[in-house]
Amino acid sequence: MTTLSTSPNAPGRMQVAIGRLFDFWPLVTVGALVITTLLLLLPVYNIIGLSFSGTEAGKSVFENYAMFFSEPYYYRSLINSFIVSLSATVLALLVGIPAAYFVSRYNIWARSLIKTIVVLTFVSPPFIGSYSWVILLGRSGVLTRFFGEYGIPLPSIYGAPGIIFVFTLQFFPFVFLLVSSGLKSIDQSVEDAARNLGSGEFATFVKVIAPLLLPSITTAGLLVFVAAFTDLGTPLILGEKFRVLPLLIYGEFVNDFGGQPVLASTLSVLLLAVTTGALLLQRWLSARFSHATSAIRPLTMQEPRPAKRLAAAAYVYCLMAVAILPLVNIVISSFLKANGPVLTAQLSLENYRRIAGTISRPLWNTILFTSTATLACAVVGTLIAYIIVRRPGRIGALLDTIVMFSYAVPGIVLGVGLVVTYHHPPFALTGTALILIMAYFIRRLPFSVRSSASSLQQLSRDTEEASVNLGAGPAVTFVKVTVPLLSMAILSGVLLTWSNTIRELSATLILQSGSTATVSIEIFNEVVNGNFGVASALGSVLILLTFLPLLVLFTFMGKNEEALV
Amino acid sequence: MTTSVSIDSVTKRFGDSTAVDNVSFDIAKGEFFTLLGSSGCGKTTLLRMVAGFMRQTSGNIRFDGKIIDDVPPHQRNTGMVFQNYAIFPHLTVFDNVAYGLRARRRGKAEIDREVKRMLELVRLDHLTHRRPRELSGGQQQRVVLARAMVIQPDVLLMDEPLSNLDTEMRIHLRSEIRSLQRQIGITTIYVTHDQEEALLMSDRIAVMSRGRIEQLDVPHKIYAEPKTLFVAGFIGENNLLPGTVIARDADGSSLIELPGGHRVRGMGGVDAAGQPCLVSIRPQDIDLGAPGGARETGIDGTVTDIQFLGGTVKLLVEIGADKPITVSLQGRRGMDMPEAGSPLRLDVPLQAVRTFKPEARA
Ligand SMILES: Nc1ncnc2c1ncn2[C@@H]1O[C@H](COP(=O)(O)OP(=O)(O)OP(=O)(O)O)[C@@H](O)[C@H]1O
Ligand SMILES: [Mg+2]
Repeated sequence: MTTLSTSPNAPGRMQVAIGRLFDFWPLVTVGALVITTLLLLLPVYNIIGLSFSGTEAGKSVFENYAMFFSEPYYYRSLINSFIVSLSATVLALLVGIPAAYFVSRYNIWARSLIKTIVVLTFVSPPFIGSYSWVILLGRSGVLTRFFGEYGIPLPSIYGAPGIIFVFTLQFFPFVFLLVSSGLKSIDQSVEDAARNLGSGEFATFVKVIAPLLLPSITTAGLLVFVAAFTDLGTPLILGEKFRVLPLLIYGEFVNDFGGQPVLASTLSVLLLAVTTGALLLQRWLSARFSHATSAIRPLTMQEPRPAKRLAAAAYVYCLMAVAILPLVNIVISSFLKANGPVLTAQLSLENYRRIAGTISRPLWNTILFTSTATLACAVVGTLIAYIIVRRPGRIGALLDTIVMFSYAVPGIVLGVGLVVTYHHPPFALTGTALILIMAYFIRRLPFSVRSSASSLQQLSRDTEEASVNLGAGPAVTFVKVTVPLLSMAILSGVLLTWSNTIRELSATLILQSGSTATVSIEIFNEVVNGNFGVASALGSVLILLTFLPLLVLFTFMGKNEEALV
Repeated sequence: MTTSVSIDSVTKRFGDSTAVDNVSFDIAKGEFFTLLGSSGCGKTTLLRMVAGFMRQTSGNIRFDGKIIDDVPPHQRNTGMVFQNYAIFPHLTVFDNVAYGLRARRRGKAEIDREVKRMLELVRLDHLTHRRPRELSGGQQQRVVLARAMVIQPDVLLMDEPLSNLDTEMRIHLRSEIRSLQRQIGITTIYVTHDQEEALLMSDRIAVMSRGRIEQLDVPHKIYAEPKTLFVAGFIGENNLLPGTVIARDADGSSLIELPGGHRVRGMGGVDAAGQPCLVSIRPQDIDLGAPGGARETGIDGTVTDIQFLGGTVKLLVEIGADKPITVSLQGRRGMDMPEAGSPLRLDVPLQAVRTFKPEARA
């Protein structure tokens, strides 16, 4: 029999031990640690270091922090950030939970249109929503003037209320999507039992359903909070004299440019502390509240009385109309003749004609950076997911923690960190395409890792072991068996990453130089210069680019909108 | 017979628990060797150590005399068949079977020839270009078998390969696997918890319990001469009765008293007079004798239940112990069917009675 045996002679122990270090997975593990250290840990380490460095010798290392907490100009921004983020969180929950409940439980009409609107709102860039509201409700906004003619003053879109309003509309989809999927995991028998014991519908919801939804609600709340707390575009457009922390970081960073951004670093550390705290809180809460129930028979659709059905539908439609209004407005106004910030009622393609000459470079930049970062995310993310799932141990856990930490690092903080780290020769990368790609890559890495890891967990190990057993080494097995089996998950991860990366603004604002400007930067510049027509045309292009991959994802890959969160 | 695989004092611990406990045995070239035991006894763990997916805590594994502990799994040249098939769902039948040959960088002509030959052997040559999802469970399992055998492994490892199939397919495939194995002459370690499968297919069986090998022998010896109480209880049906050794004879047999005052002669691990023991008697080894009459050995009882199973007839006989004794008779044309309630005398031949130390069961 064994004439074709390929077993080699057993090598010496020492040789084996050294050989193992150069095996595929140990090498990949080291590579992953190096990459995440260089792109994430080192930048964060550097801004922390900078935040403790005094400007004058002999002063306390806490000087910068002491200054922050003693000067109202600075500490007000932190308070403001908390005010707008907490308000937006509460409002998004109040608006989103009933909407999700009605759409999931009542047979109201056009449910798939509603879900499409939620998705569109969710993926559209927040800063586009903000300036769209300026077109509508700004000082010379369309609605402001319209109602003004009848003597009805509309509330101002600027300052804290405007920011809270836009944040609520922008981020309630987090709540809607998470609560919808949470509702799916509740078994009908739970509700039946409560109703059977005499609870009305509202009492049942409050006493039985809502507690079971707590994991979804807390997660959604914290995601809204973090998104609102770290957003730069909206306060930049709407803030005026109302300053929040990210705005201050950006301002200080621009002021310090050329020198050491000591203050920007200090503020960044504070921002990072808040987001990290929120992330840890979320992990703790979801571990605490997870009931790990899965519904055998999920909650069924109800057929309420017509009046109730109408009322629920009216509520949901109003919310959706307001949520989609800024996007519709962008698309429409992109086809209107603009006179600076004032749009006329004349249809024209002039805006598109004007961007035709200038868009090619930023468009090319956007597509190039996004695609490169997305591919890197897919490759590195899947490799890291494999290490975390298939090779558990201390190093795998460390990698997992690092990757999850990158989830907590806001774009603007990462931007400042990368500039601080890669500003000086021999690694002078500021202003290059590479540094933007690095930022996009590390920001989206946790999402790629998470999506690959969760499908890898569902994949039996046996198939991979069969490959190894048949003589394929670890690398070959990964390429020929693991990757093909994960291909759908990887592809949907790629589409999601692309959609989310293409609209990045805050890190890009810090890291771009004129020649590496992206479409979102162009939009931002046009908005600042008051060219709303051109901005709308660019915005429409960006929305299209964002939504196309999702269209593929939902129509051809059988995913639903819950894949987004 | 030359040794193909040796397991030498192999132990595997997971934290505090010991999954495989100091196991040693040699497997001859071409032998069909079965690990039999109930769930959690360490069969899979042992098999995975042979395949190289896990490393033993201590001990050595040798292929053809060479220690292979440091050889990574993809270089061990074993062929593994997994319980849940582990077929490559994205590859056709042909590509599944060709996988190992391609990993070995064989030429295209050779791959074509070998894969075809193997697919003919497992009678799947008409499905060469099908995708796995278009195959039945039995067909998938045959693909996996062909895939593992085509690389001519030093040893074929099968982990409960039939447990996911329905009974009919299982019975069909087990004879097919056995005849293929003989035809190719491949050394095989087969894991199962199905004793019928083990008895039918194996050259030798190792009965495992809690990480240890209880008995290693050819199937009929395992069945007829269980060495431990565990084996006696695990393999086939057995009456287990508490008893006491009364006397020991010169021929090595001992006289045993059972509850109810009945006496039998038997052989086994307990032979000192006055010691308590457990006695095992197979139902089909008990003969019906004429009731009454005073003899030294024999069991008197009353029939409480009769189960007619066609080929065999089972009698439950109350003998004054805490449970009735089962007697199995061959169902024959014109046999005298005992009646429920009637008295019976049971004769048990010396060879059919085996004694064990009672604490061995704990
Ligand atoms: N990776 C592991 N970590 C910890 N304990 C393990 C691991 N793998 C197996 N065990 C334990 O080792 C013991 C033997 O497991 P093993 O899988 O070898 O049993 P088995 O005989 O194959 O059982 P079955 O017939 O159910 O497949 C079990 O108690 C199991 O819980
Ligand atoms: Mg097993």
